[in-house]
Amino acid sequence: MAKLTIDGKEIEVPDGTSLFDACRDARGGEALPHFCYHPDLSVAGVCRLCQVEVEGMPKLTIACNTTVREGMVVHTRSEKVTRASTQILEMHLINHPVDCPICDQAGECGLQDQYMKYGLYDAEVEMDDKVNKGKAEVIGPYVILDQERCVLCSRCVRFCNEITGTGELGIFNRGDRAEIGTAPGTELDNNYSMNTVDICPVGALTSRDFRFQKRVWMLKAASSVCPGCATGCNVRIDHEAGKIYRLKPRYNPEVNGRWMCDKGRMTYKTVHADNRLGDPVAGGQPGTWAAVPGAVADLGAREGFALVVASPQQSLEEMYLLKALAAGSPVSGGLSDADRGEKDALLLDGDRTPNRRGLALLDIAQGDGTALAALINRATGTILIHGGDPAADPEVAAALDGKALVYIGTFDNATAALARVVLPGAMWAEKAGIFVNRDGRLQEFKQSVARHGNAREDWRILAELMAVCGREDAPGTLKAVRSELAVALGLETDLNRMPERGFVPGGDVR
Amino acid sequence: MTRSDYNILSSRFGRSDGHLLSVYQAEGGYKALRMALTMKPEEIRDVVKESGLRGRGGAGFPTGVKWGFVPQGSEEVYFFVNADESEPGTFKDRFCLDYDPHQTLEGTIISCFAVQAKLAFIYIRGEFGWLVDRCQAAVDEAYAAGFLGKNILGSGFDLDVIVHKGAGAYICGEETGLINSVVGVKGQPSIKPPFPAVSGFLGKPTIVNNVESVASVPWIINNGAEAYRKFGTEKSCGTKLWSVSGPVKNPGVYEVPLGIPFQEFFHEYLGGMVEGEELKAVIVGGSSVPVLPAAEIMSCNLDYESLQNAGTMLGSGGMIIIPKSSDMVELIQVLMHFYFDESCGQCTPCREGTGWLHKIVKKLRRGEGTADDIELLGHVCNGMAGLTICPLSDAAVMPMRSFIDKFRPEFEALIQETAPAEPVSRWPRGEQE
Amino acid sequence: MSKPVNEQNGFALSPEGAARVDKLIAQYPTKASALMPCIWVIMDEHGFVSEDGITYLTGKLDVTRARVHEVLSFYTMFRTEPQAEYTLQVCHNISCHIMGARPIIAHLEKRLGVRLGETTPDGKFAIEGVECLGACGLGPCLQLGKHLYEHLTPARIDELLESLRKGVVPRADTDRELQGKGEAS
Repeated sequence: MAKLTIDGKEIEVPDGTSLFDACRDARGGEALPHFCYHPDLSVAGVCRLCQVEVEGMPKLTIACNTTVREGMVVHTRSEKVTRASTQILEMHLINHPVDCPICDQAGECGLQDQYMKYGLYDAEVEMDDKVNKGKAEVIGPYVILDQERCVLCSRCVRFCNEITGTGELGIFNRGDRAEIGTAPGTELDNNYSMNTVDICPVGALTSRDFRFQKRVWMLKAASSVCPGCATGCNVRIDHEAGKIYRLKPRYNPEVNGRWMCDKGRMTYKTVHADNRLGDPVAGGQPGTWAAVPGAVADLGAREGFALVVASPQQSLEEMYLLKALAAGSPVSGGLSDADRGEKDALLLDGDRTPNRRGLALLDIAQGDGTALAALINRATGTILIHGGDPAADPEVAAALDGKALVYIGTFDNATAALARVVLPGAMWAEKAGIFVNRDGRLQEFKQSVARHGNAREDWRILAELMAVCGREDAPGTLKAVRSELAVALGLETDLNRMPERGFVPGGDVR
Repeated sequence: MTRSDYNILSSRFGRSDGHLLSVYQAEGGYKALRMALTMKPEEIRDVVKESGLRGRGGAGFPTGVKWGFVPQGSEEVYFFVNADESEPGTFKDRFCLDYDPHQTLEGTIISCFAVQAKLAFIYIRGEFGWLVDRCQAAVDEAYAAGFLGKNILGSGFDLDVIVHKGAGAYICGEETGLINSVVGVKGQPSIKPPFPAVSGFLGKPTIVNNVESVASVPWIINNGAEAYRKFGTEKSCGTKLWSVSGPVKNPGVYEVPLGIPFQEFFHEYLGGMVEGEELKAVIVGGSSVPVLPAAEIMSCNLDYESLQNAGTMLGSGGMIIIPKSSDMVELIQVLMHFYFDESCGQCTPCREGTGWLHKIVKKLRRGEGTADDIELLGHVCNGMAGLTICPLSDAAVMPMRSFIDKFRPEFEALIQETAPAEPVSRWPRGEQE
Repeated sequence: MSKPVNEQNGFALSPEGAARVDKLIAQYPTKASALMPCIWVIMDEHGFVSEDGITYLTGKLDVTRARVHEVLSFYTMFRTEPQAEYTLQVCHNISCHIMGARPIIAHLEKRLGVRLGETTPDGKFAIEGVECLGACGLGPCLQLGKHLYEHLTPARIDELLESLRKGVVPRADTDRELQGKGEAS
């Protein structure tokens, strides 16, 4: 450990700590001004903003490239330091275009933020003399580049070299002609390209998907988990007035660090897809929720369901309720070979569902199309399928043909087409729940936008179905479901007080 | 061109045969190497430290001390000879390699032995294309003679030398820029720490020395530290190659002991100004040092301390003689264009500042400047000096600040006049910048 | 992940050049560190590095296109476009300026009918302004190929141009008369 004094405050940090991090701790979480420093990337030391005064050193030094030493005395707010920060910030601004009114980064821009703190000066260089570079250049399927706005912090270049190892980006030319770009004829097209948009401190790299869509200060945020694969990257859903505008990774050192993949980032789009189910459908006719109990009962479900099929897209609570609803009837977890793809070296898992481990945790077994078809054929009575699209498998579709089927789903798909009663459920972004990721980590996702049309929370639909089946133990709140679930799984953690970074039962609890 | 009063470095300058191994050996070459290989590496380091030899590229850091920074027992050590000579006004390393490549090579081998480097690069700027061939020929001769390769002269010491050609970037003269250039990335300087002696090329201990520094080593080994200290002053030991340019009667490369009075050098060696010209100012150490008006330089001695006391630096010893007929603002525009051109662009203060300084000076010369613009030049300098990864930023600031400091009236004259009807200088209209 | 635009069609090195490249890869400590000298092999043969040349380098040295492009764009002597037959690079830095570089440039512009930075329509001559060439006490000076022409005057320029127009590169000042071997130019 090393003891050092920062701005008069004595702190103790582990040996080898970066002075940049130590300063942030000493300043109550307020980081030194910076662009190029990033905790997950190598130190570049090029923006020169994080200069501090270290007693005994003749010049100011950049904190990001300084390791703490026992007895160091550091000043981060002295006149010398503040003057340097102001001057260096000015250097960043002299060729920066005044694009704020049309720049997506406004409101979450490092330059704007630093300027409000250290700047507020009159521009001294004339617009005519400004260095001009490329504007609005598409450099990949998801990313668009404005070279003039770039402050050449090199975060994006380091990301592509060090994190993805793909090396698409470079800084060409020298002096104030230097510019970020891809080599001619190449694109920034790796599956993590949008993380460069996250880490770009200014509006140089921006998302093509988000371009001109919404001013960031109008967005509300909800914590969630990406449903794209079994990794369960933690995300933040940015939304406004019922519409989701983008996903951003949420920091979780146990799961995804600060990154997520582009595929996952785009999963929000299906929430607003055209083929969403918005109203209950009975006998081919859209109807009301009021009519649902009757319609389900007419199908012969009053004694219960003959077969219940879960899906790995469901939340843990929904799977639990579904299993309870099944009572003694067979429960299938759906198709084991559906929703599979290639795993990559970083985050993307080969299992493209968010909760297959949840099925395992509740001892719900999956099977292939033949096995599921067999179960369907053996079922005498009403079948309930919750989520997924098992009828996409031709064997399953054949087996379902003519059966009394109730389908709780979100899309007008093959299974919905075969169902007598279709009940519109909520998508992951429209409800709260728990997913279990590939490492067995339970993670909570929260509701962001209102549910599409008249869709209902799935747990509520299941509770209603329980009532139809004459069950006395249908739960009244999601809270109650979670309490029961915790008991059923023998968990110590209160599932109504989920730790922010999730937890692995029996493992470390945060 | 040169006077051989002092010939530690320049004894074969001007000859047409000095580059040949046979000639070099006949005149005592590679004796020092034989002797060095019988010594211990630390003994050699001590001798060079004792001699007071300081880095001759511009930084003036004691050579023997720098060698000592390599951690003891390092397995893989690299050595780079910095022949990237691009400092405006400097052309002495070129002479060393052109006329006497074996002296530099012998110095390199001894230096490598002193730090136990097994691979050395001689990094020659791309514009010295003919010298790349010259040095390669000398290296080939050395290999053939057993001075390079495995088990040199039976000593058990192995050394390979690669002649590496640059491609036009002043910043590659900065030692970590040089190293990075050879690594195969852009030749941009690295942040320090880590320092090259501890972690440089491929993360291994690396020493970078200027040509002249390395070329001084054989004489020091042959004659001892004491003998070297007999030349120069207490803190500025030995001889220095001065590159002299400008309208003096005898421009060229001169080897003189450090400490010689400028006045003596100017009159006795350079022959004073050519007919019709008067001395106005001198930039004494390559363009990246403060300028001194004639009156001030006349009382200086040409050594590190005296020049520092006068407010400038010895630097590379690239002495640029400025005549009264020169327009100082015109000259500073030329220099500011240089730093704008050569800034590697990594760190913001230098990248933006060098461009900005050049633009403001151009504006002044177009007759569009105001008094605020002169202040602005100082303000931009303040945002550059001491705040960057490498000293290029300071290299631009030092001439800029000193030109205003010492020749302010010439800047102010441009403000008070309206845009001149005739061009201010001999430059043709519509020139490139 | 990134796909280069062209495959290796149309780019070829002479057998000597290809052999030089292989020798350099063997000599340098890492493949990537041989990038600059390999670029010089291509520059010496073709005068510039094309997109196909970049593809060749990425294949031989296991480096990305972005890296090669960075290096090519960083150094003034590396070119990515075909060059004029004779590129006359005149130093316009301080010492040469004091000694009269600008009138020399003006004279060249007059004689060739193009401005600094331009190429004659027949592609034979280009004039460029460059920074200090390391001939400060011997200026004004210009670089042509591997050599420097020094102590320039309008008359010397005229002599140089007349010779080049005939396709003969006159002996340069740096191409000294030497005894013995060891001076390949």
